[in-house]
This record gives sequence, structure tokens and C-alpha cells, in this order.
Amino acid sequence: MKTGVSNHCQPQFRILDDAQIERIHQAVLRILDEVGVRVNHPEATDLLAGHGARVMGDNLVQIPSPLVEDAIASAPSNLVIFNRNKTPVMDLGGRRIYFGTGTDLPKTVDLQTREIRDTRSDDIITSTIISDALPNIDFIGSYGLPRDVPAGLHYIRCFQMEAENSIKPIFFTAGSEEDLAVIWEMACAIAGGPEALSDHPFLISYNEPTSPLAHSKEALGKLMFCAQNRIPLNYAPALLAGSSGPVTLAGALVVAVAEALSGLVIHQLTRKGAPISTGVAATTMDMLEATVSYTSPEFRLTHSACADLFHHYGLPVWGTAGCSDSQYPDLQTGAEYGFTLLNAALDGANLIHDCGYLGQGFVASPELIIFADETIGMVKRYMRGFEIDSEHLALDVIKKVGPGGNFLQEKHTLDFFMQEHWQPGIFNRKNLPNWIKEGQKKTDDKLLEKAREILATHQPEPLAAEIKNELDMIFQYRNFKGD
Amino acid sequence: MGIIEDVYIAVIDGKVDDAAAGVEQGLNTGIAVDDLLKKGLLAAMDLVGERFGEGDIFIPQVIWSAKAMQAGMDLLRPHFTEGQQAKSARIIIGTAEGDIHDIGKNLVGMMLEGAGFEVVDLGVGVKPEQFVEKAVEEKADIIGVSALLTTTMMSMAEVVKLKNEKGLSSLKVIVGGAPLSLDFCKEIGADAYGVDAMDAVVKVKELMGL
Repeated sequence: MKTGVSNHCQPQFRILDDAQIERIHQAVLRILDEVGVRVNHPEATDLLAGHGARVMGDNLVQIPSPLVEDAIASAPSNLVIFNRNKTPVMDLGGRRIYFGTGTDLPKTVDLQTREIRDTRSDDIITSTIISDALPNIDFIGSYGLPRDVPAGLHYIRCFQMEAENSIKPIFFTAGSEEDLAVIWEMACAIAGGPEALSDHPFLISYNEPTSPLAHSKEALGKLMFCAQNRIPLNYAPALLAGSSGPVTLAGALVVAVAEALSGLVIHQLTRKGAPISTGVAATTMDMLEATVSYTSPEFRLTHSACADLFHHYGLPVWGTAGCSDSQYPDLQTGAEYGFTLLNAALDGANLIHDCGYLGQGFVASPELIIFADETIGMVKRYMRGFEIDSEHLALDVIKKVGPGGNFLQEKHTLDFFMQEHWQPGIFNRKNLPNWIKEGQKKTDDKLLEKAREILATHQPEPLAAEIKNELDMIFQYRNFKGD
Repeated sequence: MGIIEDVYIAVIDGKVDDAAAGVEQGLNTGIAVDDLLKKGLLAAMDLVGERFGEGDIFIPQVIWSAKAMQAGMDLLRPHFTEGQQAKSARIIIGTAEGDIHDIGKNLVGMMLEGAGFEVVDLGVGVKPEQFVEKAVEEKADIIGVSALLTTTMMSMAEVVKLKNEKGLSSLKVIVGGAPLSLDFCKEIGADAYGVDAMDAVVKVKELMGL
């Protein structure tokens, strides 16, 4: 007899069974042990060698399995990320999903002219303010890569602009270890010192190995800096099946996971228990255009498999969704945003980035962050499932209303409609006459309207004047010093 | 102001018992009927309508505000002067002959009641002659006919024809339903077309010159 029926049902999804996880994991361990990875940083090589890894010359390091298992065991299984005001806002781990933008889009579809042009500094402020206003955007990336800031300073400037225009956690890129040190100095100024920052981190460093199976000196320098200073790090490769990795998805996954886990080993050897999220983006190279697809169905399969693996490891896992290969907001954008966001949520990925992306990671169009937010709302409602206790089974009200009656005026309807039904903010549900009467607005029009409205009315919580001055001084000093 | 404000808030919050209790207390303490009606019940429903129009509140909340308003109205009605009585309107509603869809029609009824009108609901599958007979019997100002099926739309034309034949020129006909249009409304000679339940209230007010 079955007892203890759960009162809550929820969509459940995984694509690897336990035996398949074990098979892939064993293949990863074999690659690390028998092939190894290139570790282009002397300190990292020494660290590995000191713990039993085999340095084979030419910076090739073979990593025995126990080192990998130790790193998986010592890395934290969840990561609490705070906002600028030291309030915990993300608990990365388990199947908890959080969404945000990405970094570094060099082109922007102008909100006014709708032309595709170079990204500028004011675009970073625009996307930050829009992201700050949206309920389903949990963390903020620079979104764009400003071309009007001298190279070598743009990541620092981006971080500064984001911190000044939002209290949400910042997912940031740093160009080099020196860059990272400057950004860290800024973050310390905001938090009130290194201790306060590592106790209440409001930033996540975005960093990656180089597929196949290599860690650059820059990447490792930043990785070790993060570990030493307990700056949350996201270290995950972007592999292209068929060029920087095997064409088969299983093979691509094995190589990418080997990269991620070897990074994890170096990170945990640098400082045990230091905060890290990882995972992989193993997508396809388009064999006709030689471009990187951000939304291929194959990427979604490796994304799901990666989530299954890292849930099995008990480690916070990175994700990618709310992005499109289209160069301009269109129907393709809609289909790809919906497909990828639902998939990432079903996967239970934790730090889901690249919301609002176009053009295979090259084009920004700020109103699409609002489109992602709306779609995430829909997806989150779906993921919430529904209750099946007696109140929700509603037998009393069904009996009361009876055949041919109407539930609309019942108290039960009033009591539950808000929690049970999702209400769109942007998507149309008007009937035809009302839609015509109100100007026949398409989703695109409404997104642009909403973006302009947010920019005209939303006031992000300001950063204290003395801290702003301090950030300016840090930036000016770096500007003066040069590289 | 205390009691009128209590009534006003009870209607906005959709608290049926509170609204009735407020009106009763108001009547007992000698507050003018006109103030309880206009500053309490009707002012609250105006705000509810406004909020609904802005998308800040939803249909179930409007319905419960309307119920609260009705509860207050039932207590006030015996105290109405003739002038207050005349400012309202009595509306006969029903789903057209051959059609049993009534969700839209019910919603219109609730919204009209919420706006302070008296509604007599004849139910579903109502024959044209029933609409007209009942309108005469109830001394109604307006007949509202609803249809979802395209096949039943023509019985609406029959309602208009019948009341014209009887020379009931002051009796107006308003139509509504998903397959309808303003063109169809004009074609059959109906007086107004409501795009949705809220619009039906607007159109009824226009027809009554309110």
C-alpha cells in the first residue's frame, strides 16, 4: 500500500542515469590521468606536482584521480552570494535557479535608432539599470563591452558602473590578474575591507580554461587570486564540438568536464573550501558558417548532462540560457529564449547567464533583458508545479457550484487565483478588439516602451558619495599607471 | 468620515460583511444615504474600476468588491429617494437562444451590478420574445444579449426586430460575445456593443447618459 502521498508536484527532469554519470565520470578521470592538461602557470604546476600530479614537461600535467575526488569533496556544495547591501540573495547549489546577463557584447542594437553599432559606456549603465529593475534578473553582468574606454581599462570601468547603478550581485570579467586586483580593491572599498567582502561577497569572477585541455597563465593567475582572497569564482570552459573538442557530444562533455575539474583541483589546492561554481558550455561549431551556436539543441543536451553530473558531485553549476543566435530581435530570438530558459530551469542549473544575448555572443539589445525576465517568470511558474492537498483539490467548491455553475464568483477563486495563475507583464492576452483599440502593439513595441519607461523612472539605490569617490580614485590611479 | 471611509475600504477590499456592517452603522448613526452611496459605495467602485483598467487588480477582486457594494446597496435601497432610484438602470441580460455559454454573460452581470445597476439575469438559451416580454414586465431600460456561437448570433437581430415592432423605442439593446463586432452590432440595429465586461459597463453608462 502506498502511503504519504506528497502534496506537491513539480516538473522533474534529468537525462543521465546513475550508471551513465559514472561512465562519463570515469572517462573524465582517465583523460586527466592518462592525457593530462596543459597548466601554463609555474605556481600552479608546482602546486599540482607537490600533491602527486605528474609534470610531463612542456607544462603538461597528469592528474591522478584521488586529487580530483579530493577537490570535489573540499569544494563547497553551496555558495551564498549577497547583494551590495550584504543581504543574501542567491544560494547557488542544489537545483536552485538564478538568472542574469553575461558580459562583453561588442555590438549593441541602439534603443532609439535600432541600428547595430559599437557598444558604448552608457550602454553598460542602461543595461545595469534595466537589470536592476527586473524581478527575475538575479545577477548583473556588464552585458556590453564598451569601445569608448581605453583597452585594458574597460573591465574595471564596467565593474565600477555596475556597482554604482545596482545593488544586485555582479558577474564580472577581468582582463588579467592585475585587472582583477583593481576590481577586488573596488569591491573591498564598497564592502568595507577584504574580510567584510569575503564574508559577504557580492561579486562572481567569470573565468575560463582554453579548450581543449589547457589552462592559460592569465586564467590560472586569476583563478588562484580568487581562491586566495575567497572571491567567488565561476570557472567553466566554452568548448566547440567538432573543433576545440570531439564532434560527439559524449566526447565533448568528457573533455570539457576534464577542463572544469582540473581547474577545480588547482583552485582547491590553492585554498581548500574556497568558493567556486563550475560546469561547462559544450556547444557545436556550425559546420557551414564556422560560428559558435549559443542555442543548438546539442548544447542543450550537454547542458542537461553537465547539470546532472555536477548535481551528482554536489557542486554549484553554471548555466547558459535566454540567448539567441539571431543578429536582431525576431521570431528566432523568441523561440531560442523560450527553449533555452525552460531547458536551463528543468536542468536545475544554478548560475544561469547570458540572458538578453543576441548574435552568438556578439550583439546586445537591452530591451531583450526585459523579454528574458518575462519568459523567466513564465518558466519559474511552470517549475513551481502545483499543490494537490484537499484545499487545492477543491472538492468542497466543486460540490457547491455543481454542474453548469460558475466558479468565478467563489471565494475559493479569490483566495487562490494569485498564487495559482501566472500573470504576464508583457505578453499579450488581450482579445482582438481591445488589442486593435490599444494600438495593435507587438511584443517588440512593448519591450522598447518598457525599456524607456524603466530608464525614465527607475532609481537604483545610490552608492555612498565617499565610496564613489574612492572608486574614482582607484580607477584614476590605474589609468595613470597604465599596464 | 470614519464610517463612510470604513464602507469605502470594505468595498475596495471586497469584504462583504464589513461593507454591510458599515452601511448599517451609517444608517443607524444618521449619516446621509446620499453620502453612504456616493462617497462610500460608488466612489469605491470607481477606484476599483480604475485599478482594474490599469491592470493593478484582477477579475475575482472586482467581483468581490461588487459583492460588497451590492450588500451595502441592498441595505440602502429602501431609503432611496426617487431621484436616487432613477439614476440607476435596470438591465435584462441573457445568453441568446441556442447558446448555453454563460461565463462572459455572468461576468457582464457582475460588473454591471458592481457599477450600481440592477441586473435581471434570464440565464442561457433565452428566446427573443422572452427578452422583450421580461423587459416590459420588469420596466427595464436595457436588454443585454450575449452569444459565443456564431450560429446563434442571428437571434440577436430577432430581439432588436421584436422590440422595434412593439414600438419600445426607449428600450435599448446592447450585444456582446467573442465572435461579435461593431459592424455586426450596427448591421442588426443594436444600440451598443461591449468588447468585454468592463466595456459593457461603459456602454451602458453611455446609453443611460450617465
